[in-house]
Amino acid sequence: LPAPAPGGGGAVELVAARVPVLADHPLVRGPRFRKLKIGAGHRLDVKASGVFVLGIGHGNKLLTDLYNCHLTKVYTVGGLFGKATDDFSDTGNLVEKTTFDHITREKLERILAVIQGTNQKALLMYSNIDMKTQEAYELAVKGLIRPMGKSPPIITAVRCLQFALPEFQLEIHCLHETQQYLRKMVHEIGLELRSSAVCTQVRRTRDGVFTVHDALPRTRWNLRGIQEAIRNCQLKVETELEKTL
Amino acid sequence: RRGLGGAAGPPSTRQLREAEEASPVFQYAGKEAKRKHRVFVWGFSFSGALGVPSFVKPDEAWKKPRRIQPTPYRLETEEKISSAACGYGFTLLASNTRDITKVWGMGLNKDSQLGFQRSRRDQTKAYEYVLEPSPIPLPLEKPQQTRVLQVSCGRAHSLVLTDNEGVFTMGNNSYGQCGRKVVEDEIYSGSHLIHQLKEFDSRVVQVVCGQDHSLFRTKKGTVYACGWGADGQTGLGHYNITSVPTKLHGDIAGVNIIQVSSCGDCCLAVSDEGDVFGWGNSEYLQLASVTETTQVNVPRHLPFKIGKVKEAACGGTGNIVLTEEGNVFVWGYGILGKGPNLIETAVPEMIPPSLFGWSDFSPDTRVAHVRSGLSQFAALTNRGELFVWGKNLRGCLGTGRKEDQYFPWRVTVPGEVVDVACGVDHMVSMVRSF
Repeated sequence: LPAPAPGGGGAVELVAARVPVLADHPLVRGPRFRKLKIGAGHRLDVKASGVFVLGIGHGNKLLTDLYNCHLTKVYTVGGLFGKATDDFSDTGNLVEKTTFDHITREKLERILAVIQGTNQKALLMYSNIDMKTQEAYELAVKGLIRPMGKSPPIITAVRCLQFALPEFQLEIHCLHETQQYLRKMVHEIGLELRSSAVCTQVRRTRDGVFTVHDALPRTRWNLRGIQEAIRNCQLKVETELEKTL
Repeated sequence: RRGLGGAAGPPSTRQLREAEEASPVFQYAGKEAKRKHRVFVWGFSFSGALGVPSFVKPDEAWKKPRRIQPTPYRLETEEKISSAACGYGFTLLASNTRDITKVWGMGLNKDSQLGFQRSRRDQTKAYEYVLEPSPIPLPLEKPQQTRVLQVSCGRAHSLVLTDNEGVFTMGNNSYGQCGRKVVEDEIYSGSHLIHQLKEFDSRVVQVVCGQDHSLFRTKKGTVYACGWGADGQTGLGHYNITSVPTKLHGDIAGVNIIQVSSCGDCCLAVSDEGDVFGWGNSEYLQLASVTETTQVNVPRHLPFKIGKVKEAACGGTGNIVLTEEGNVFVWGYGILGKGPNLIETAVPEMIPPSLFGWSDFSPDTRVAHVRSGLSQFAALTNRGELFVWGKNLRGCLGTGRKEDQYFPWRVTVPGEVVDVACGVDHMVSMVRSF
C-alpha cells in the first residue's frame, strides 16, 4: 500500500490500489481435478502404437455405446520377409530363416484378395441375418452387413501400401481383433507365399470415428489439450451413435 | 540343471545376432516355382459325376458313403484339364494334349454318353455308372496330332470338338441331337457308336448342348443346330426333330456370332457388335421382351439397352449376360440374384457390382465370365474369385450350406478359379494354385 503523502495537513486523498485476488490462484486453490475416472476404449498392445481412445468421467458411458457400434479399426502393419519367430514379431526368438526372392507384389496381392474373400464370407455369416430376406440383400449391396455381437476377428479390407523386398507394409481394416492376431496374420501370409514373415510395426491409424489427426501427441497431454480434443470430437461421436443405435 | 560351462544370464544382443546370422536358410520355393493346375468338384456324387469312387463305394467298411459334397473337393487328374462340361448326372474332362487319351468321362453312362466303357467283369458289356475319370476312346484319324478344344454335355448326349477332325458326338440320339439319322428302337446303352460331323461351312469353334439339342458355331460366325425342336430351340423355323446339323437364319443371318449358349430349352447368341439374339422356349419370359409366344423357333434380336454384351449364358429358366463394362444383367424366372423379391422379369436387371467384391478399396474388381447351370448361376471375377447363386440343388452351389442363395455368394476355393462348368446338381471348376 502506498504510504500517505508526506506533509500531512489538509484532506486525506483516497487512492485506489489494486491487489491481485489470490482466491483463484492455482497454488491457493489446488489442482482443478483431483480424481478423474478414466476408462479405456479398445486395447492397444505394448509393442503397438497409434490411436488409443480414453473416456473421462461421464464419457465412460459413451465408451460402452461406441463399443456396441462395432465400427472398423484401421491399422498400418509393417512386415519383413525371411524370418519366422515364436511370437510373430521381430523381437522374438528366431525359429527359422527362409529365402524370399521368389515373392512378387502380384503374389502378395493375390493372397490378400483371398484373405479378403474368406473374411467377407465370415462377415456375412457372423452377422446373424437371415440370408433369405430382401433386407439382407439390400444391406449386402450397400456393404453394411457386419456382426453386431461377439465374433472372431474379421478383416473387412486389406491393401498393400508399400512393397520393397524384404519389407512390406499393409493397411488393414478389421473388427474385433487383437494386435497379436494381426501379427499372426503377417506370419500366415509369409507361410502362404512359401516363405516366412515377421511383423515389425503395428500402428492403429483409426478407431471408429477417431483418426490420427484427432489424437493428442505427447506434447499436448495437458488439460487444455484434452479439453480441446473433447470439444472437437463431441459432434462426431454424437452423430455416429445416433446413426447406429 | 545347467552345467558350469554355459553362460550366466540371458544371451546378449550380440550373441543373439551372431546366432541368427549363423542359422541355416531354408528354401521352400525357388524363383521359377510354377503354379499348378487343379480341378475341384462339388455337388451330388451318387451318380459318379464327381469322379471320386470313395464317395459312392467307401474303401473302408466303417466309412459312410457321401451323397453330397457340399464344398469344393480336389480331383486328381493325370493331365492338365483345359475344358470341362457337366451334363445331367455325368461329367466330361478334356485336355488339349497330343497324347492318345484326351477326354475322360465319369458319371451316368446309360445312354453311352461317355462312350463304351468296357466292364472288367464281362468283356462284352459296358458300365452303366462310371465312378472315376475313365478315358473315352475317340475314333481319331491322327490321334497323336489332333487336339481336343472343347467338350459339352446335354441331358444324355455329349459333343467333343477337335481342332481339325470336326465334332464327335455320342449318347442318346432319339431326337437326332447327335447329328445322325434317328434309328427306331435303337438301344443306346453299351453302344460303341461315336458319330463324326464334318460338313459345316467352316471350322467349328464352339459346341453347345442344350437339354436334347446341339448347337454348333463356326469360324465364319454361323450357327448350326440339330435335335429336338418342339420348343423351337433348333431355331430352324419349325417345331420338328432335326437329325442333321442345319444352318440357322432369322435375325442372325449374316451376323457374325461370337458366342452361343444353351442349357435347357432356350438358346442365346452374342454377335461381335454386342447384340443378343434368342430363340427357343420362352415360357419363363426369357424372350418376352420381343414376343408374347412361348415358343420361338426363329432367332430374334433382343433389343436391350444395356451396353455392348460380351458374354451370355442361358440357364433353365433364367438368363444372364455380361457387358463390356463388366456389369452383370439377369432376366427370366427363378432365383435371379437380386434377393428373394425378384422372382421374374422380362427385362434385364443389373446385379450391383458391390456384390462381386467391388468396393472403394478394390475398384478394378470386375466380373470376367458368367456361366449358368439349370437353376444356378456362376460368375468369375478377374481376381479369380467364384460367386454362385440360385437353387442349391443337392449341394451344387458349393457354399457348404443347404439353403438356396438369393444373391451372389463367394465359394472358398484354395486357388485362383480359371473356369467353371455348371450342371444340374454338380459343378466342376478348373483352378490354378497360388
